[in-house]
Amino acid sequence: MVLVLFTITAVSAFLVALVNDLTKDTIEQKRQQTEDLAKLEVLPAYDGEVELIDTVRKISDFEVVVTTVKKSDGETLGYAVKAPSITRNGYADRITLMVGFVEQEDSTTLISGVKVLSQKETPGLGANMIKPDNKLEASIKRQPNPAKLVFKVKKDDASGSFDALTGSTISSRAYVNAVETAYAGYLWATGRLDLSKEAIESAPSGASAPSNKGAEDVAATGATTVEECGEELNSNVEPEAQKGELSNE
Amino acid sequence: MSKLQLITKGILKENPTFVLVLGMCPTLGVTSSAINGMGMGVATMAVLILSNMAISLIKNFIPAKVRIPAFIVVIASFVTIIEMLMQAYVPSLYASLGVFIPLIVVNCVILGRAEAFASKNGVFDSALDGIGIGLGFTLSLTVVGAVREILGSGTIFGYTLVEDVMPLIFILAPGGFMVLGYLMVLFNKIAKR
Repeated sequence: MVLVLFTITAVSAFLVALVNDLTKDTIEQKRQQTEDLAKLEVLPAYDGEVELIDTVRKISDFEVVVTTVKKSDGETLGYAVKAPSITRNGYADRITLMVGFVEQEDSTTLISGVKVLSQKETPGLGANMIKPDNKLEASIKRQPNPAKLVFKVKKDDASGSFDALTGSTISSRAYVNAVETAYAGYLWATGRLDLSKEAIESAPSGASAPSNKGAEDVAATGATTVEECGEELNSNVEPEAQKGELSNE
Repeated sequence: MSKLQLITKGILKENPTFVLVLGMCPTLGVTSSAINGMGMGVATMAVLILSNMAISLIKNFIPAKVRIPAFIVVIASFVTIIEMLMQAYVPSLYASLGVFIPLIVVNCVILGRAEAFASKNGVFDSALDGIGIGLGFTLSLTVVGAVREILGSGTIFGYTLVEDVMPLIFILAPGGFMVLGYLMVLFNKIAKR
């Protein structure tokens, strides 16, 4: 009896391990492909070769990947930022977004697109965030300038810029938080916001256990730095130049 | 029982949702829209057919005392393998059905059929039983999902029917219980005639 059960579990475990071994590379490859596609999807359409330069930043122990997308003539098309929701969990798990940022000629930044990379929200409710033109996306389209966005859900705070998805305030909060994180990552990568390791570690309980407090500090720094550095926007800070200094781990 | 009856009984006489009342957790959880219900149904059907066949193949080796853990291991392995294969080779399908797949392990329809049918019948009959029950499950979930979607968000399979704001409660869990209850009454009333 024990032997039979042991045999069944052993055979099953072997089969699962075998399939896992066979598929894990393909799965990783497909995931990478979708991510690379998403990088271009959130930016304005561009025909021709592009160069992708990744810079990895850590905000409160979470990885934020800022990809600088360059046209073949060396000009920057925009920045695609992959960011998780840091302080707010969704209903089931963290939400990871790809957010596109494009610098305008008048040196303002606009969000050119948002794509949900991973979410485990309730189908029919929070999962509606993957639908095109949902309320969250519409909120960004209405006010694409992230410097003017108030990263709150209207239901929580009347000054917030985001309409929540119907019946999914928690999922919406996580989404808004991920957009905010992406914006902080973008500002950091373009040298307009100092989120160096020391700054984060000195923040109360910021690095070890991400808490509301730690990230609110980040957010606050973000908001003030934007205003202060408005003029620096033109100076075209190269993210790679900052790589050695800013990126850690 | 003829081969055809094996299939049709899963849809009417032994409908897993409305008559056997099995697998209620995933039923209530995913039927917030018609397409979700259908997706869950199809994914469950695939696992059900495979696990029914596998269990009827190995039924003679399994001692009665450990049959439940043995069935669960077989089912969970199938679900995991299918999930990984889908993720690797049909990522578009995985993107739309992925959330339902881990839920299938805890679906008592599958264990119920393993216990009640596959462990007593041959491979071919078990496969037919899997198809029948799977179809019944898919149809019921689609119907529950469609009713909830129409009442709760005024759409059907994503197409807008009513522009007005609909009572959100039908998308949420309480509405799910209500719709399921009324549909169960309706189904049994019609089926018993």
